[in-house]
Amino acid sequence: MQQIGKNQLSILIIVFMIGSTPLFELGIKAKQDAWLAMTVAAVAGLLLTFMYVHIQKRAPGAELAELLTMHFGRWIGGFIAVLYVIWFSYESMRNVRDVGELTTMALLTSTPKWIVMLLILTAGAYTVSKGLEVFVRVVQLLFPIALLSYAFIVLLLLITRLPKLTQLLPILENGITPVLTAAFPDVLGFPFGQMVIFLVFWKHVSEKKIIGRASYWSYIGVSIFLIFMNVVVLCVLGPELAAITALPLLEVVQMIRLANILERLDVIVTLLLYIGLYVKMTALYMAAVFTLKAVLGIAYRLCVLPIGLVIYGTAFLEPNNTYHLWIGLDITLKIVPVFQILLPLLLLIVGMRKKYKQAK
Amino acid sequence: MNKQNAGEFTPFSPSLQANVETIRHRFGGSTDIVIRMFRSDAAPDREVAIIYVDGIVDSETINESVMEPLMSMKLPPHAYVKGGKLLEALRSCVVSIGSVQEIQNLEQALQYMTDGLCVIMADGSAAALTADVNGGEYRGVTIPQTQTVIRGPQHGFVENVRTNISLVRRIIRSSDLHIQMHKIGRQTHTNVAVLYLNGIADDGIVKEVYRRLAAIDIDGVLESGYIEEFIQDETFTLFPTLMNTERPDTIAAALLEGRVAVMVDGSPIALMAPTTFFTFFQSPEDYYQRFDIASFVRIIRYGAYVVSILLPALYIAVTTYHQEMLPTTLLISLAAQREGIPFPCLVEALLMELTFEVLREAGLRMPRAIGPAISIVGALVLGQSAVQAGIVSAGMVIIVSFTAISNFVMPEFNMAATSRIIRFLFMIMAGIFGFFGIFISVLLMLIHLVSLRSFGVPYMSPMAPGPTRQGPWRDVFVRLPWWAIVLRPMDLNLRNPKRRPNGKKPPAQRHSDKA
Repeated sequence: MQQIGKNQLSILIIVFMIGSTPLFELGIKAKQDAWLAMTVAAVAGLLLTFMYVHIQKRAPGAELAELLTMHFGRWIGGFIAVLYVIWFSYESMRNVRDVGELTTMALLTSTPKWIVMLLILTAGAYTVSKGLEVFVRVVQLLFPIALLSYAFIVLLLLITRLPKLTQLLPILENGITPVLTAAFPDVLGFPFGQMVIFLVFWKHVSEKKIIGRASYWSYIGVSIFLIFMNVVVLCVLGPELAAITALPLLEVVQMIRLANILERLDVIVTLLLYIGLYVKMTALYMAAVFTLKAVLGIAYRLCVLPIGLVIYGTAFLEPNNTYHLWIGLDITLKIVPVFQILLPLLLLIVGMRKKYKQAK
Repeated sequence: MNKQNAGEFTPFSPSLQANVETIRHRFGGSTDIVIRMFRSDAAPDREVAIIYVDGIVDSETINESVMEPLMSMKLPPHAYVKGGKLLEALRSCVVSIGSVQEIQNLEQALQYMTDGLCVIMADGSAAALTADVNGGEYRGVTIPQTQTVIRGPQHGFVENVRTNISLVRRIIRSSDLHIQMHKIGRQTHTNVAVLYLNGIADDGIVKEVYRRLAAIDIDGVLESGYIEEFIQDETFTLFPTLMNTERPDTIAAALLEGRVAVMVDGSPIALMAPTTFFTFFQSPEDYYQRFDIASFVRIIRYGAYVVSILLPALYIAVTTYHQEMLPTTLLISLAAQREGIPFPCLVEALLMELTFEVLREAGLRMPRAIGPAISIVGALVLGQSAVQAGIVSAGMVIIVSFTAISNFVMPEFNMAATSRIIRFLFMIMAGIFGFFGIFISVLLMLIHLVSLRSFGVPYMSPMAPGPTRQGPWRDVFVRLPWWAIVLRPMDLNLRNPKRRPNGKKPPAQRHSDKA
């Protein structure tokens, strides 16, 4: 079985959580308190992570599907696991569609979407077919690129003195309610609640004892980073502008003008976007394959192509981008708490009274 | 390794005449087989024969150490009695050669003869002696042709594997340097030597090298490239998973790092395994120059590699799809240049790159005397004239030339060669999908790279997977001073990972002005 190390787990959590998140201004419904909404959601996400790790600790050698069958029995557990497969594939499909939409919108206006999505999904399927070890190594290679790019952007912003802290004032203008409504369930559902996916991957960490510590620390680190990026964008654009632009970070980077050379850094943002979407897409795709494999008990490689085809096919169901965004932001975010909170909570409660044998 | 089964061995006949006839017959009466038969005074009852292949033995040694003592031999009385063991006496008292051994069958005799040994047989003995008189004409040790350094040893391997081994032995004077010889090739019986440092190289890897070498069954091995294609982990990859060199110091350095070296008789190019992606960016000179210069040059090398893969693709993507990326003045001047060009940018780039590849191959293969003609014609097709003829733009000429120059920076030819092929794939993807195409192709390349292994070692280590120990970073992108490089580079299960006790510089006696 392919195994990953402690540092690899941390890097995977960090890059997966970053994903494409800093490109959007999450929690902007709370206006200048968007970063507070982020913070609240991040803390709630940490509680969720505690819960996930606790569930995992009961049977360190089991992954999501095995945990579900262990708690709910063969049939109900299997059914819920299939629901998870559908949800993972769906989330993966959203990323594929995102790549298609963004590429045809920003880079290649006359290229058909199907070939763009086919290419990115090919890269994903290639990775998934090679297995978790290879995927994590790719993430390790992409991590320094992403890190340096973000550091470069922040450095340039500081040099050009674009961020103004006064944009954050007044804090809590309308009390705590708008912050909470912005944070729950939207920001919690994306990105923080997506930690649930690691119920699939924790099994493959070679040192089982450290999964808790490594996960908490990388989660806390990446949350601070995400809140920081949120604050930076907010400070540059201000709450009004940040609320109406599709990709606020792109807007921010386009404002950088330095010494007539460092202009038009859009390519860095595009690169970050692709890296983030690729990592998210592949991780979710892989989680779906892992879970399906465990439910049906068939060979791993047999699951790769069917799931890939399902993802590719469903990516065409939404007629246009507006529809895509509407489903993503309104409908999906109302359903995901079922997978991120409700079902894990059920697992936790059902498991309270059971005794566990070490799963093999 | 002898491929023949035990059943096929032909024992010697007690009759010398019969043995000599069989050998002559086996070689089909070849004229370079020298058979010298005589009787000496010491044992007049027994005829003795010396048989060897002319040209691959050292005639002086034969004359002085074999022929001369045998002809005029004076055996001490106790050593030989009439009808006794003549060969034993010859071995102990007459033949003055370091390596002499007794053989029992005809096939061995034939094998040793073609290896450049001479066979001594005596009438009435169903055995023979071989004496190592290997020699003949070889190219002398000269400056390496393909891997030159400014500072560092200036001798390179030659075609003789024994000479090559001796060159390494002279650098690593340790009994831990273990060398095993294999014979590969049904017809060529090529000597293939495996070198490793006992106690430093991983046993599993050494065993794996032996296992893969033993599995080779081919009629002939003419160069180490044959062996490389047999023992590499993955055939269908553009990236080399074995490194090669013609420098003894590079081999010595690789052995000290725990790698295994494979040398093939008849080729001055030796192989090293396992290798990782990053070792291809290390020139031997990095370790002889001061560390700051070496680090700077190494970073340049990584940059040049990226340029040699990506630059034409980026140029195509920017000029075809993303013109807004360029500063306005540059964009206008590029657009003005391209005004009269009949081809799209991708076609233009492919045309120029292919022209360059043709030129490069022509430069390699042509007879020396035609050299100047090539450079004149080359300057025409890949330069100002091509621009004036309106076939390509000046910008494209610059791009192609810089890409070509960047490619020559790579210290390892086989890694440089991969970028020549990958470049075309990237160019085509960039021509169709712009930056998105480049992103996808780079991503696919990375996925492929991390899935490669060289003798079990992940190809992209210590980057992905990251190092399991502290320290390997000190010699990857930069090189720290020698005293700071404590550990051997590979992330293997080395029994002996430390090169130095600690990472401290030995203190120097300071001479202050006051004293």
